[in-house]
Amino acid sequence: MSSKSETLPVALAPTLTVQRSAWPRRLKGLALPVLILVILEVVVRIGWLPSYQMPAPSEIAVTLTDLAEGALWKHISASLLRVLLGFTIGAGLALVFAAWVGLSREAEAYLEPTFAGLRSIPSLAWVPLLLLWLGIDETSKIVLIAIGAFFPVYLNGVAAIRDIDRKLVEVGQMYGFSRTRLVRRILLPAALPGLFTGLRSGLSLAWMFLVAAELIAATKGLGYLLSDGRETSRPDIVLAAIIVLALLGKISDGLLAALEKRCLAWRDTFNGQGPEN
Amino acid sequence: MSEALLDIRVERKNFGATTVLTNVHLALQPREAVSLLGPSGCGKSTLLRIVAGLEKDYQGELLQGGGEVAFVFQEPRLMPWLTVEQNIGFSDDDGYDKAWVAQLIDEVGLTGFGQALPKALSGGMAQRVAIARGLYSRPQVLLLDEPFSAVDAFTRMKLQDLLLQLAEHHGIALLLVTHDVDEALYLSDRVLVMDNRPSSIRQELAVELVHPRDRRDPLLARLKALALTELQRAHVI
Amino acid sequence: MKPFFNTLLGACALAFSLQPPAHAAETDPAQVNLDYAYYSPVSLVLKHFGWLEEALPQTKVGWVLSQGSNRSLEYLNSGGVDFASSASLSAVLSRANGSPIKSVYVYSRAEWTALVVRKDSTFNSVSDLKGKKIAATKGTDPYLFTLRSLQKAGLSKDDVELVHLQHPDGRTALEKGDVDAWAGLDPHMAASEIQAGSRLLYRNKDFNSYGVVSVTDKYAKEHPQTIAKVLGAYEKARNWAVKHPDEFAKLLADESGLPLDVAKLQLSRTDLSSPLLTAQDVVSSKAAAPILVSEELVRRGVNVDQVIDQLIDPSFGQALPRP
Repeated sequence: MSSKSETLPVALAPTLTVQRSAWPRRLKGLALPVLILVILEVVVRIGWLPSYQMPAPSEIAVTLTDLAEGALWKHISASLLRVLLGFTIGAGLALVFAAWVGLSREAEAYLEPTFAGLRSIPSLAWVPLLLLWLGIDETSKIVLIAIGAFFPVYLNGVAAIRDIDRKLVEVGQMYGFSRTRLVRRILLPAALPGLFTGLRSGLSLAWMFLVAAELIAATKGLGYLLSDGRETSRPDIVLAAIIVLALLGKISDGLLAALEKRCLAWRDTFNGQGPEN
Repeated sequence: MSEALLDIRVERKNFGATTVLTNVHLALQPREAVSLLGPSGCGKSTLLRIVAGLEKDYQGELLQGGGEVAFVFQEPRLMPWLTVEQNIGFSDDDGYDKAWVAQLIDEVGLTGFGQALPKALSGGMAQRVAIARGLYSRPQVLLLDEPFSAVDAFTRMKLQDLLLQLAEHHGIALLLVTHDVDEALYLSDRVLVMDNRPSSIRQELAVELVHPRDRRDPLLARLKALALTELQRAHVI
Repeated sequence: MKPFFNTLLGACALAFSLQPPAHAAETDPAQVNLDYAYYSPVSLVLKHFGWLEEALPQTKVGWVLSQGSNRSLEYLNSGGVDFASSASLSAVLSRANGSPIKSVYVYSRAEWTALVVRKDSTFNSVSDLKGKKIAATKGTDPYLFTLRSLQKAGLSKDDVELVHLQHPDGRTALEKGDVDAWAGLDPHMAASEIQAGSRLLYRNKDFNSYGVVSVTDKYAKEHPQTIAKVLGAYEKARNWAVKHPDEFAKLLADESGLPLDVAKLQLSRTDLSSPLLTAQDVVSSKAAAPILVSEELVRRGVNVDQVIDQLIDPSFGQALPRP
């Protein structure tokens, strides 16, 4: 029977390939950035690109080290705090509203059109308005970030709740679950995948709105550092700030992704090419 | 006549403009196994849902004699984020009876899979979990809506035997909806044949065979012929 | 390997596009871009009368509004303008941080900045501002004025909270009460004094730097004739301004949208008499430069005196015909 003789090698192969490909896979991801850095360094050193417009990567590295010895941590902590606060407030409110609108047709009828309208306001258009109403202090910045985080979380939350398989809900109804119990035991866990997508999207938008908020009337923060470099003709500081922002954004997203992976380990979904292919 | 476990009478059940059920009456005795046999869309699932309390909009009356009623759906409908154990004890939240769950897992033949997630189960295994979940509340009546239609023929036979075993062991009455004539005859004490919409019960076939039954038994074949004749007369086939 | 070659090709294309085309002899460029600003009243005159367009008939002349020295220098560095109007100390800062620019002309010497507070404020001296919020546009003369004033009062920039707002926004922030003080710049400063009653907490003529027109090194090398023509036109505008003070004030008021008395106040503090860069200017710049080092605005290890020597180029001014 041919099927029997095939099972043995197939069973072995997956374990072998997993061990061999984990290392080169990471290297592949690094190849492109390293290449770009090397080319940039060469091109700037030769003089094809003027260094006052595009500093060499080595120069940016020096700037980063200088900053790290000094005020960088102050700026990082200021920005991190704003993002955390804004994101928590925005995402939290969004979850509440998403649950409300998702579960109640009445609430949807009243609230959804307003949210749809507010959502279409371009992010940066909020800035002058908030500055006018809330001043140039922390409040206006955090509100701006909260607005940024709100909409992706809300949208994905509503969609996630609407997407829930009616068949699962029926199981709860059959057991006579109350509204709250249905939400807690079935709706919330079932909506979790969509909620996480919304949260990750909201977080990246929070970072974006943070920079917008800090470009205007800040005294510290990475966005402030960005504009600092701009105003004093220091493109190396501009790039250093961008790099730190990218790193922080990646790390925070990575943390969320790890949390997502743990909470959603039960999912039975397609996740790219597996060793079986 | 002993106390019926449940007595359902549906004078009329509509979905919109379509009348699905008309003048249906059935009573279920303790430890009895009854099948509702009929074509798709004839309302047998609707009748079952009415008994389960999932459909409330009908003209008629449902009398229940106390005791738990449990439901097994056509699909396993397990919560994908819960383990097999947690799924079985679902109605009791976190404080489910671990010993009882462990026993049920053994009874349905899934020993060792208590911590598995639904994504790791085959269709047949998942349906076993669903049955165990149904049994968790120690029901007197188990309602099953085409419970084995999604699995292959061999698994189906194994699950049918399992169901009979469990019903016997726990003294449960079964009300089963199926479109499989063989299944209806193998499992039930009475087979109620339903016709097309608007449907009612055309014929009642009594299967007077003791359990365990032999699938090759000629009586089953004769009863099948009767059932098929009736279905033909009803223009179902 | 294909992505590698594509990246390399792209980088080469980018690099080659930045190479200067070869010039045999200098002809008037096809386009020249200048900035104009309310803190450089003569630029407004020049733009208004079109004398530059007359001097360069073959050239398309573009005008860009600048909201401050920081913006002007940014436009200059990115190629948005060929001639930038900024405070001289700001130009020093820019050059010290690597921008290859040269200052060629003085468009005004003004007492155009001071520390401004609201009319009802209780502050009496700079030291009262410790721990308070001061709005100042980073990279501009008011910002540097603030740093120098703070240093004189024994404070550093970390002893206060410097809020980065462009000049007009800084004025609004002061008047709304969002900040405690503002490093003002004319004409906005004059407007705040007259319209909102704000008072000047601290003035110091010596802490004001003069205003310069700057070009890039490359431009100075490749278009000396054009520079001469532009400066010639500037001179024409300056002479007109000196000879017609009333019309000058009116023009400034019209262009900036501010009332006539504001324009007059600004012009009363503006000196247009000596447009040429002299050795004295080099000296005063060098005297002011240490603040850039002490407040860490320039990279470590930069020799600011050397920077100033490279920055200030009196030759273009000296080549101008004397009136």
